[in-house]
Amino acid sequence: MLRTEEMLLNMGPQHPSTHGVLRLVIKIDGEIIREVDPVVGYLHRGTEKLAEDLTYTQIIPYTDRLDYVSAMTNNYAVVHATEKLMGLEVPERAEYLRMITMELNRVASHLVWVGTYLLDLGAMSPFLYCFQDRETILNLFNELCGARLTYNYMRVGGVKWDAPEGWLQKVEEFVLYMQKELATYHDLISGNDIFLQRTRGIGIYTKEQALSYALSGSNLRVTGVPWDLRQHQSYSLYHQFQFEIPTGETGDVLDKYHLRMQEIEESLKIVKQVLDVIKEGPIMGKVPKVLRVPEGEVYTGVESPRGELGCHIVSNGKNKPWRLKFRRPSFYNLQILPELLKGENISNLVAILGGIDIILGEVDG
Amino acid sequence: MFGLLKGLGVTLKNMTKPKVTYNYPAEPIPVPDRFRGIQHFDAEKCIVCNQCALVCPTDCITLTGKRNPDPEKKGKVIEIYDINFEICILCDLCTEVCPTEAIVMTNNFELATYSRDDLFKNMQWLHDNNQNIRQENMSSKPPGAAGGAK
Amino acid sequence: MDLFFYLGPIILMLLLLGFVTYAILFERKVIGWIQNRPGPNQVGPWGLFQTIADVAKLLLKEDIVPGKADRALFKLAPIIAFVPAFAILAVIPFTESWQFGDFAVGLLYYIAISSITIIGILTGAWASNNKYSLLGGMRSAAQMISYEIPLVLSVVGIVMTTGSLDLNDIVLAQKKVWFIVPQFLAFLIFLIASLAELNRTPFDLPEAESELVAGYHVEYTGFRFAFFMLAEYVYVFAMASLTTCLFLGGWLPLFGLTMIPGILWFLLKFSLVVFSLFWIRATMPRLRVDQLMQFAWKVLLPLSLLNIFLTAIFKEIPVLSSFY
Repeated sequence: MLRTEEMLLNMGPQHPSTHGVLRLVIKIDGEIIREVDPVVGYLHRGTEKLAEDLTYTQIIPYTDRLDYVSAMTNNYAVVHATEKLMGLEVPERAEYLRMITMELNRVASHLVWVGTYLLDLGAMSPFLYCFQDRETILNLFNELCGARLTYNYMRVGGVKWDAPEGWLQKVEEFVLYMQKELATYHDLISGNDIFLQRTRGIGIYTKEQALSYALSGSNLRVTGVPWDLRQHQSYSLYHQFQFEIPTGETGDVLDKYHLRMQEIEESLKIVKQVLDVIKEGPIMGKVPKVLRVPEGEVYTGVESPRGELGCHIVSNGKNKPWRLKFRRPSFYNLQILPELLKGENISNLVAILGGIDIILGEVDG
Repeated sequence: MFGLLKGLGVTLKNMTKPKVTYNYPAEPIPVPDRFRGIQHFDAEKCIVCNQCALVCPTDCITLTGKRNPDPEKKGKVIEIYDINFEICILCDLCTEVCPTEAIVMTNNFELATYSRDDLFKNMQWLHDNNQNIRQENMSSKPPGAAGGAK
Repeated sequence: MDLFFYLGPIILMLLLLGFVTYAILFERKVIGWIQNRPGPNQVGPWGLFQTIADVAKLLLKEDIVPGKADRALFKLAPIIAFVPAFAILAVIPFTESWQFGDFAVGLLYYIAISSITIIGILTGAWASNNKYSLLGGMRSAAQMISYEIPLVLSVVGIVMTTGSLDLNDIVLAQKKVWFIVPQFLAFLIFLIASLAELNRTPFDLPEAESELVAGYHVEYTGFRFAFFMLAEYVYVFAMASLTTCLFLGGWLPLFGLTMIPGILWFLLKFSLVVFSLFWIRATMPRLRVDQLMQFAWKVLLPLSLLNIFLTAIFKEIPVLSSFY
């Protein structure tokens, strides 16, 4: 017998497919992974602590930088929690605009996932196609709020800008275009045998595991739990609209891919429905000039593209929160990684890690 | 096997599609009017209310005022107005709270320099940055949108 | 004749460098077009000097040998990898007269010499003393050895038909019909196996960027890295030439258009093969290492054996035997 030895491989924080600055310390035996130890915190900026010294309006630009591929949802999380604590009424048009932007942002976020995931698997072109379509969404946001990534669009009590002239038509055009364009993605990716080979049966976990690790979002739904905060703890005006909650069957990465593609479709459906009912009106509710949030505590969860994005505010009646805590879904979802990777081949590592869909800005907070 | 061919078909079809890239920096990138770029500051309009400095989430604005030299007029005039673009995140809150539109966004965004010191912009520089000023500033400002300043 | 004997290889070398320069540009352009972007277009008109600039950068770079590396092997490895890549070009018949070494076992020579490159890659991977490069090197060795077998077996059908290992004879035997028609199965196997031999997507596991960062050449910089890249692209050149000779009738014209010189026909077919390599690269994701092995041994090998068997049977069937 030849003597074999376990090798310690340090993957990241500068590695092409850890999606940022995640570090994985891997014990490998040949190409088989024995143990994984994720090290997080390289992108920690202390958003929660900083928020204690910021007024509620000032926190909003900081949330843009948590999950930077779906900043609209982050904006909404903190705005929504504050509104709930203050008991504010938000005008209908503002809520509709919020929903349109959030759902478009979900589409953009999932497109980034599809693209980067295929890039992890070694295919270049889907990445650029996804980014082209995402670009359309970013341009729409740019027209709406003047930034492509860090929107700072929502305000406590409404939104900053009303839709510019012709913007809603452009959104509708995009929705129609994207609904057709999805077929191209399926042609390019879904039928690709190599893609199927790489993803089928990889990274499977059970419903019980998922729940015990507090997974949420598509990582939970893929195990067959139809849990979506948009329906189950309905916020904004989602209860007015019809949409399905896609769930997975086998729970592998291929299922996650199909699930996220279906979520794109559902999001587009929601946007379409909102566009049908949106009316002219005020975009800002009656908000005092200085936001003093009454003493109390509130937790609200919103369905971000990655899972339950919670915002817990403890207020002591001042214009700044006494404590603010984000439940950052990427951070929770990442915890299951060591368990999933045990005994896998090292080339499955990127396939599984990519499947979880983490954003390091959110993991590290 | 058929799926692979389908994929090859998609990529081949894309070869004939028009290019989507911009010829930047040879040609400027078109940006919408609402684009949040480097601020333009108009000292004439400023009433030294300090709201922008208070609302700034990164504390990048420093300003001081002095008494109006014209004894017949009340109020203050601006003396120093600096923005540190090392930490400014162009979040738009300062222009949002400004009651007189003394500070407004422009569509200029090219800030790259070889030295950090160059990123510290004073009042004169901000005043001279008067190209491509954003048209829509206060017009759609929602009532009561001012942040929790003061 | 003597002069040509000495100058020929130098001319070929220069031509080859020219090819590699523009193959890299062409690859980046093709992938760019596929991804709706123009590709390199800043250095020179239409980006024509892009690769030259890149190579100049590589040559001007500091030559770094990692402290813990095996210095002698580290320096030797790129040479071992490159020399066979160039040596195999001797037997490729570009036209009837343009061939450097016309000998009876050209095909065998090609396949035998090209395997030596693996030693260079493995040496470099080992000598770098880096875990990623070691993994890349191990993958590379396993992959290239596995795929050599279906590659060789797939051309046995052609050898059976022509009764010769001389590439000249093989090209001339395609006067009536190119081998891609009667040997279509062999062509597919050959194409897949040659992609794997070239370490190109979907078989670029040895340098799998998203897993192993850069695989076996992760520690190489400057002109040593350039040598590995050069070896890779010379193999693209050689493999595309071989594919053209074996399956697409080499320099033989199509539709009897004999007024177009053979070398142009050769280049045309050759470019088509090179384009399809780039096209596949732009489309496909990467296989997984265990699936890669399974694919070679469980799919390609039986298929290539089947191809040999079928060729043998068809040779005996009266109507078909004229093709075989």
